[in-house]
Amino acid sequence: MWGLRTLGGGRLHPAVGELAEQFRAGEIDRRSFLRTLSWLGVALPSAGGLVGLSSCAPAKAVSAQKRLRFVCAVQQITDPALTTWIEASNLFRNSLEFLTEVDADNITHPYLAESWSPSDDLKTWRFNLRKDVTWSNGDAFNVDDVAFNFRRWLTPNSQSVNRTSFAAITDFERIDDHAFALHLSRPVCSLPEQLYAFTCPILNRRFEQEGGDWPKTPVGTGPFALTQFEVGRAAKFRRRDTYWGPKPLVEEIDYIDLGPDIATHVAALAAGQVDILYRVNISELDLVKRIPHARLLSTQAAQTLVMRMQSDKAPFNDIRVRQAVVNAADNAQMLKFAYRGMGVVGENMHVAPSQPDYAPLPPRPRDIAKSKRLLAEAGHPNGIDLTLTLGNTQGRWEQDTAQVLQQNCAEAGIRLKLNVMPPAEYWSIWDKTPFGLTYWSHRPLGVMLYDIAYRSGSAWNESKFADPEFDRALDDAMAILDPKKRSVAMLNAETILRDQAVIVQPYWPEKFTAVSDRVIGHRVHPSDFFRMDRVGLA
Amino acid sequence: MLSFLSRRLGGMALTMFAVSLLVFLVLEVNIDDVAAKVLGQFSTADQRHAWLLQNGYFDPLPLRYARWLWGFVTGHWGVSTYYHADVRDLIAPRLLATGLLMISTLAVMIPIALTLGVLAGMRQGSKLDRGVSILAIVTTSVPEFASAVFLSAIFVFWLGWLPGVSTLAGGVTLNELALPVAVLTLSSAGYIARMTRASMVEVMGSPYVRTALLKGASLSRIIFGHALRNALGAPVTVIMLQIPWLLSGVIVVEVFFAYPGFGTLLYQASINSDIYLIEACAMIGVVAVVVSQLLSDVINTWLNPRLSLALTKAAPPAGASAG
Repeated sequence: MWGLRTLGGGRLHPAVGELAEQFRAGEIDRRSFLRTLSWLGVALPSAGGLVGLSSCAPAKAVSAQKRLRFVCAVQQITDPALTTWIEASNLFRNSLEFLTEVDADNITHPYLAESWSPSDDLKTWRFNLRKDVTWSNGDAFNVDDVAFNFRRWLTPNSQSVNRTSFAAITDFERIDDHAFALHLSRPVCSLPEQLYAFTCPILNRRFEQEGGDWPKTPVGTGPFALTQFEVGRAAKFRRRDTYWGPKPLVEEIDYIDLGPDIATHVAALAAGQVDILYRVNISELDLVKRIPHARLLSTQAAQTLVMRMQSDKAPFNDIRVRQAVVNAADNAQMLKFAYRGMGVVGENMHVAPSQPDYAPLPPRPRDIAKSKRLLAEAGHPNGIDLTLTLGNTQGRWEQDTAQVLQQNCAEAGIRLKLNVMPPAEYWSIWDKTPFGLTYWSHRPLGVMLYDIAYRSGSAWNESKFADPEFDRALDDAMAILDPKKRSVAMLNAETILRDQAVIVQPYWPEKFTAVSDRVIGHRVHPSDFFRMDRVGLA
Repeated sequence: MLSFLSRRLGGMALTMFAVSLLVFLVLEVNIDDVAAKVLGQFSTADQRHAWLLQNGYFDPLPLRYARWLWGFVTGHWGVSTYYHADVRDLIAPRLLATGLLMISTLAVMIPIALTLGVLAGMRQGSKLDRGVSILAIVTTSVPEFASAVFLSAIFVFWLGWLPGVSTLAGGVTLNELALPVAVLTLSSAGYIARMTRASMVEVMGSPYVRTALLKGASLSRIIFGHALRNALGAPVTVIMLQIPWLLSGVIVVEVFFAYPGFGTLLYQASINSDIYLIEACAMIGVVAVVVSQLLSDVINTWLNPRLSLALTKAAPPAGASAG
């Protein structure tokens, strides 16, 4: 069919034909088409003729410079499946690998799994593993390692967010040494993409026997081996000569923790002391632009700030109070003043226009009069005192945003007090404070985020939002392969979430970072998932 | 002298005891908070309860305090919840790094400050005196975070002469020490120069200097032979006061330049609620303050024998004049 074939050489999923027709008719875009094909285990090079994929450009000459220096927080890692920091995952990503890989364009590729194929009803997924992979401790990689990981993610007392993400999995079936099947209670179309979540690295089957502390026994299948790990200071990785994949371009990677002040990171880049920065904030943009040998990289990702109200705590258990806050908020103004307008205005429902399952909702303009009326009806005719807690976990722009909201709310008689605390302090109360400002990183799909953040009882449901109707709408959306039909199903879920007014989600800020102009092959990944084996120095 | 030292040591012990009590009360009274910080946000209520029970947190407060203090005195400072390492092992290299920064700063700052102060104080009201005073006031009134940004803008971003961060990752280099030392020197040298100047002016106006001048002694002999030693009392006290400031008050400079010192450690401990590390840093800060005060007293006593005489006999009468 149009020259398309699967990664494993088996039968194409029946939905592939319809998707190709839609793409040819211009009903779905190229990216959505490729992305959906990748979920269904279609070998993407076979789609080249259909969508006009070109082969990769030849890489620039790589210099003899063998050591790459990356500014990144070096945080405590114990059990990678319990990681809550993406920075930490970027360290173990050098040594630990995943079953699939999602690239910067959100296309899923084979990784430790060389192919996969879903059943027609999307409730049974067969995965075939690579046979040439060995662990750094000499073990051969096989299905026992994968089974070990799924078992510990899904065990009822698991504290990993994977327990919620993969709640639909009812059974792990071992087919042979290099093949397994997952049986699901409901259809999930994006399963291969979800396996690249940062909490899903595949650990060696003896991880728990050897103490369950990864930096102490850093066994991995990946291109680099951990050689030094000092929390708050530095981590070093060295290239593994026995790696199964292409040889990494650099011999060593040094991760240097320069503390939380990004201006310091920029100074180190200006002085040529480091090669790659993890992140640059809006306040450092002008500084970076003035460094002659630095390149500023940016992308529009589905990352955002969410000012969420816990619907089970007073006064937010009264929907009118929540609606009053949401009606008073001026999202466009928050984007303009707190982030210099560099992003896209949010619609208080936490799905980004850049996400393929986004369904546009009718705009709902700001309404101060309505806000006052709702407050009066809720028994607060003279206004109300509220406290918003935040931790500037990503930088000062979080507080700047909250200050604009504070001014917005004042117009409606809401006296908003800001409780600013250190970042680490905030992360210890982020899901407990009644009204908090939380940064949410990019997720490739809106349904993924809804599943972990807004489904009733889910692990990271910080707003304590619980609505069976929303859960049903989400189940429907997660089962639909067709991007067009999925966004229709998402309309329901988005509408419910916006109407329930648990969040002010002001904008989708652009993401920035900076590198030395000697760095080649480094791209901003919308999820900040960096594979360093393809990065070199010119 | 012995009774002076024993009185001083007694005072030191009392100060440290009071501060230790404060540190304990602030950080260890809310035991749920301690358990949450040690075991992390993913710990369950049962796990926290078991940990508190196992570590004697349900014992009476005085008993807990006594045990905690004894642990501190005997070197059991606990394990850092953020760095996951023994607090003692963390603090030692950081103290060393800050000690290096402190010595380098003092080595640059003291000669500059004393020279400027003496030169200005020699001839009160001269152009040199006014120039030094203005320079001292300007540099002292600029806070460290501003001078750090200013110097960084010039030497890192504009001229590209110096490194932007001083991580000492490749060992100690003068290049990496230059900017932190310059910032610290700028912010405190002016103050010491002003103190030296004031002291010098006072001494230069005293009857014995006038007598020496009338007897025809040269200016250099008067300054080096008589005035300088008497004028150094106040600056020495101020310099000694810089030591605790250099140990814990340099947080801004250390964090700005990512310098791996005691200040950065204290900052990281605070923002990460690293309870045992905060406790140890606070106690070390107190030790530094009281020890440097003691040193300051001893040096002052050596510089001014009247002080030791007064201390061994009785307190000097108020308004006792010099000379």
